[in-house]
Amino acid sequence: MKIVVVGGGAAGLGAAGAAQGASPDAEVVVYTEFEDVAYSPCGIPFVHGKDIESFDNLFLATKEQYVESGIDVHYETTVESIDTGAKTIQVAGEGTVTYDRLIIATGWLYADPGVPGGDLGGLYRVKDIRRAMEWDKVLDQTKKAVIVESGFIAMEMTTALRHRDIEVTLVDPGPWPMSDVADPEIVEPVRKSWEELNVDMQWGNKVTAFRGSGSLTHVETEQGDVEADLAIIGTHKVPNNPLAKDAGIKLGSTGGIIVDAHMQTSAPDVFAAGDCTEIPHGVSNVPLQGLSGSHAYAQGKTAGVNAGGGERQYRPVYVPWGMLAGEWMLGGVSFGETTASALGLEFVTGTANGITRARYYPGVKPITVKLLADPKSRRLIGAQMVGGEGIKERADFLSMMTRTGITVDEIATMENVYSPAIGALNEPIAVAAQNLVSKL
Amino acid sequence: MSFTHWLRSNSEHYLLQDSQARIAKAQGLDGPRAPKSLKDRFWRQIFAPVYRLLPWSVRKRTIQAIPGSHRQDWPEPNYESRKPAI
Repeated sequence: MKIVVVGGGAAGLGAAGAAQGASPDAEVVVYTEFEDVAYSPCGIPFVHGKDIESFDNLFLATKEQYVESGIDVHYETTVESIDTGAKTIQVAGEGTVTYDRLIIATGWLYADPGVPGGDLGGLYRVKDIRRAMEWDKVLDQTKKAVIVESGFIAMEMTTALRHRDIEVTLVDPGPWPMSDVADPEIVEPVRKSWEELNVDMQWGNKVTAFRGSGSLTHVETEQGDVEADLAIIGTHKVPNNPLAKDAGIKLGSTGGIIVDAHMQTSAPDVFAAGDCTEIPHGVSNVPLQGLSGSHAYAQGKTAGVNAGGGERQYRPVYVPWGMLAGEWMLGGVSFGETTASALGLEFVTGTANGITRARYYPGVKPITVKLLADPKSRRLIGAQMVGGEGIKERADFLSMMTRTGITVDEIATMENVYSPAIGALNEPIAVAAQNLVSKL
Repeated sequence: MSFTHWLRSNSEHYLLQDSQARIAKAQGLDGPRAPKSLKDRFWRQIFAPVYRLLPWSVRKRTIQAIPGSHRQDWPEPNYESRKPAI
């Protein structure tokens, strides 16, 4: 059996490894347009910010390791089209290639800002590690930068550029940072920490053009020009799906490929995984696109096992998320107040301000937990948090709580670890749930 | 862009703006920019209030009717399985 994977990111490589595991005799071939596979693009801002010493640290495996494991990776190779009827793909420089099972993992792109000057030099879309290595040298010479919208990677780049002593102007049409995801009081400490870092934040403003002669010199906005020799494009993720669309594979309302729990697409023997797909949300059943690297990898594993003849199901997602922004960690699960209100859900909130260790223990940090519950079922439907530490573990924990349908009454009486160096007497999740229950 | 993609993209964007405006007002913050163009006004001043008036059951049925991954075969949550392990 020949299993072909298009895309060498987390989903593609996860799929290739799982396909080989499920079907050890299968020929597994991966096509990628890039020079590398299996690195952590999410780590790029931290190398730019000098928190991580080298881009080499971001690679998860070497090219030799893939050769040794029997996965045939074709680098810098473009797949031009798919014929699902003939079960072939057209590959630049290779011609027609047949497959028995195909896995599409073509990932995502930044949404086009849709303004003039998009082809100027000096516009940086943080994604590809080789380009990041080149841009890192540019950053040594950069004096002034504009961040265009506060997406996840752009938020991390804001802090990274300030660490490099580059003047930063953040232009975002939203009223507060990450306003399509985060609630204002949750993200307020981040906004304040950027204020302390002298980031010029222009909320409610919009970029209207990039200007310069060959290379960027300034960014035009609705509220005036901003001088800049670099612009970081931080717009939202869109699925990279021209290949699937042209092949007649069905796409959903997000533009992502429609898949079922086996990551099977509308075409026979064609699977898809990662940011090019859409996955139903566990609470609302609304399909979502543009999740995290861990989601992409797990979806890739599911697609790979099934393509290899095994049996694995993926599940609707509750989307635990977290990130470092300024001096703070932000995170959450499923809905925040902004997104729940936008969808028109009924909910009740409960918030607690707590601490992450015993109050007397060195390194203790503040933490705020905000929970949302459905008033009828009393089940958790979402959470948002900001704090100095311990956000990731709580987001993962709350994600499982949401998925298993635990009520806030149960959470309000949860047990928690108390050990001065790692946990306070009162767990802020429990206190937030107690505050929520008192409102029901 | 398909009709459903266009509908999702616009409704999501403007319902989020509507939500941000209500939350900002409640917290005494600056909200999103006021609608200026005809398109902005339609989605913010007509679509969003009408959407909010509809019962959740109607909205849910409408969302369910739109083609997408959510209409494929997915495991249902099993809340009843939470019994003692042994």
